[in-house]
Amino acid sequence: MKLKNGVLGGLLLASLYGCAGQHSDVALQQAYNDFQKVKEDSNVLRIAPKDVIRAGESLARADRLSSYWGSGADVQHYAYLSQRYSEIARQHSEKVLNEERAAKLELERQRLQLALREAKLLSVQQQGKWLEEQIISLATTQTDRGLVMTLGDVLFDTGEAELKSSANRTVLKIVQFLQLNPKRVVRIEGYTDSTGGKQENRKLSRDRAQAVADMLMDLGVDDKRIHVEGYGDEYPVEANASERGRAQNRRVEIVFSDEKGQLGAAR
Amino acid sequence: MTIRPLFAALAVTALAGCAADPAPNEQMRLTGQALEQATAVGATVEDVPELKLAEGKYSQAKADMADQSFKDARVQAEQAELDARLAEAKVLTLKSQEQLNVLNTRIARLRKQLGDAQ
Repeated sequence: MKLKNGVLGGLLLASLYGCAGQHSDVALQQAYNDFQKVKEDSNVLRIAPKDVIRAGESLARADRLSSYWGSGADVQHYAYLSQRYSEIARQHSEKVLNEERAAKLELERQRLQLALREAKLLSVQQQGKWLEEQIISLATTQTDRGLVMTLGDVLFDTGEAELKSSANRTVLKIVQFLQLNPKRVVRIEGYTDSTGGKQENRKLSRDRAQAVADMLMDLGVDDKRIHVEGYGDEYPVEANASERGRAQNRRVEIVFSDEKGQLGAAR
Repeated sequence: MTIRPLFAALAVTALAGCAADPAPNEQMRLTGQALEQATAVGATVEDVPELKLAEGKYSQAKADMADQSFKDARVQAEQAELDARLAEAKVLTLKSQEQLNVLNTRIARLRKQLGDAQ
């Protein structure tokens, strides 16, 4: 850079001769001014040194010619070329500076894009948390087995394992919850009241749990995340003496694992 | 510098008023090339005044060539070449500026979205 400055400095023209005529004097002065501007711009020197040198050479030529009588047109010509080279140098450097700015902005853009993706992910997680709160408030209890959601007897007809359509909303919520929490797994546990034989109840409870599991799978939950158990009339939540108690015992419970997929031990 | 002997010749031609220059064939070729290049990057005579200048001077240079006015042809062709090069440079600078504007718009949009997300 130092050397280049020296070379260009050497091309610097101190005196403008008056003998080449008024027009060429003006042209020479303008070319000189333009050349000074690009020569003093460190960016232009760095980016377009060749064009700056050519501007200087043309200017030197115009300056030398201006000492000859009758060379006005030639002086104007080389002054014109010099001005063009200065302007080309300025344009080139502007372009490269823009490209350098663009490279920096591109990095900034990528950084922001990443930040935005993280923010979106966070909001999905928050949404997941919100949904979790919803589900908890819906029909769950935090027990020593983990988060447990109870699908009550209203979702099944007596002696039937088929899930009634009124269960859809609840099941959809569970699916959504599992999609937002991809590591969580569930255990679906079926229970009956004490009516009927032990063996029969165990099968019915398992079928009911399986019906819920099937629906979850149909809605896109990976079957590896679903465990199914049938406990028959064990673990009643109410005494089987009353109809109300029996109704409460006919149920499917969904036990959610923690966020890492750790499920409490089966009963 | 090879132009020193040229000075004397120029001074003489200026005094005598007769042109003894050789035909600037190479310069004509360079000018034609510069014009093509400017057009190739998308310069048009409507948008870039320098290209209009270049084309006018190039036509004049061609006419001068036909008249055997080789000095005039060279002057016109040399100026036309740099006019065309400037036209090309201006178009490229404009494009880089537009690219910058696109990036700035995207960044502003990202910032706004980030502001909304927080």
